[in-house]
Amino acid sequence: MLDLEIITPEKVLVKEQVDIVEAKGAYGEFGILPGHTQFLTTVEVGEIRYMKDGATNYIATSGGYAEVVDDKVTILLDEAELAEEIDVEKAKREMEEAEKALKALAFDEIQYKLMEMALFKAIMKIEVASKRHL
Amino acid sequence: MATLRDIKRKIGSINSTQTITRTMKMVSASKLRRAQEDLEKVKDYALKIEELTGRVIQNMPDDTHPLLAAREEIKKVLVVAIASDRGLCGAFNLNIGLHTENFIRENKALYERIGIYTFGRKVNDYLQRRKYDVVKSFVDVKKVDKEIVDIIAGHIIQFYTSGEFDKIYLVYTCFRSPIKQEIVFEEFIPIRRTEESEEDYIDYICEPERSKIVESLIPKYVSTKIYYALVESQTCEHAARMSAMENATSNCGEMVRFLTLVYNKRRQEGITNEMMDIVGGAEALRGT
Repeated sequence: MLDLEIITPEKVLVKEQVDIVEAKGAYGEFGILPGHTQFLTTVEVGEIRYMKDGATNYIATSGGYAEVVDDKVTILLDEAELAEEIDVEKAKREMEEAEKALKALAFDEIQYKLMEMALFKAIMKIEVASKRHL
Repeated sequence: MATLRDIKRKIGSINSTQTITRTMKMVSASKLRRAQEDLEKVKDYALKIEELTGRVIQNMPDDTHPLLAAREEIKKVLVVAIASDRGLCGAFNLNIGLHTENFIRENKALYERIGIYTFGRKVNDYLQRRKYDVVKSFVDVKKVDKEIVDIIAGHIIQFYTSGEFDKIYLVYTCFRSPIKQEIVFEEFIPIRRTEESEEDYIDYICEPERSKIVESLIPKYVSTKIYYALVESQTCEHAARMSAMENATSNCGEMVRFLTLVYNKRRQEGITNEMMDIVGGAEALRGT
């Protein structure tokens, strides 16, 4: 079993014992099982999955850090939402806004990168939300 | 000598002051509750980030990140003083001002320059009035949010990396309980590494390389720390205001009680005098 803790500045999102944690790191996807070596990585925009009692839970995030020490997984994220808690309507609105803004911006503006990021986050949220348990 | 009417007027005015202070106390109490919730939320994150940063930067050479490198000669220091914009909260702002002042007085001989970065109108006014070297100030902050924090963090990092200051301290009020707040005065930048690092040094597998992680983690640490300090300070402000207003309310009550006593005595005196006049008059009439 792994002790998983997912913390954002907003709240402690997850604090429980899980079987496996998967997320997207700097060099691609990684999975953590009990007995993993000491590991430190950045977490990229995308989804985090963790499995508990055979059920998989999904979390959408905008990135952060993950640390594994002695079967303790601590993930510190800037923003994160459980799939069940994502406001799909809002995410869609965010996506549309970002798309609109991107069309108006030139490719080399600083804003462009930011909006691109925002768009990506919104898409990720919608995608993760679609995987929620109904 | 105060007439009866004067006393009555005074009682009336104190009563309305009491109404105001009581309301302010109630407002602060509800604000405090909200601030406490915010504080609880960010606390875990801030502590974890601090722990993580502490572990990761152990044994990292000084040149990994400019904020890690301690300067050999420390000539110019910056004190970041965090308090609030508004008064009527007891000694809250004053304490921060005094602490900063004391530090400057004690260390004036040691350093070439001691600059101050103020957050909050009151503490800014206090230190400016005393002609201290206020480098930058932040006043009229409506809400502590990410933008403000990023701006401040940017300033602080800029101050250090540009060589304008060699060491940066942070002074703010830390919330222990609604009736207990403590002033924290700590070294902020360069970020200190723990000494006895050999044992609890963790040899991580890092993705990307450790130095890259350190590079991105440190700005995050700086802004999280500032955010945390601001939230702590805000919570304390409300707590301080609440107890200040509670004191004010009970003082008002005491004063009203005292003045009512005086008023009654004076009234009694007046009546007695009048009666004596009447009796005296009657006696005099009877004599003729």
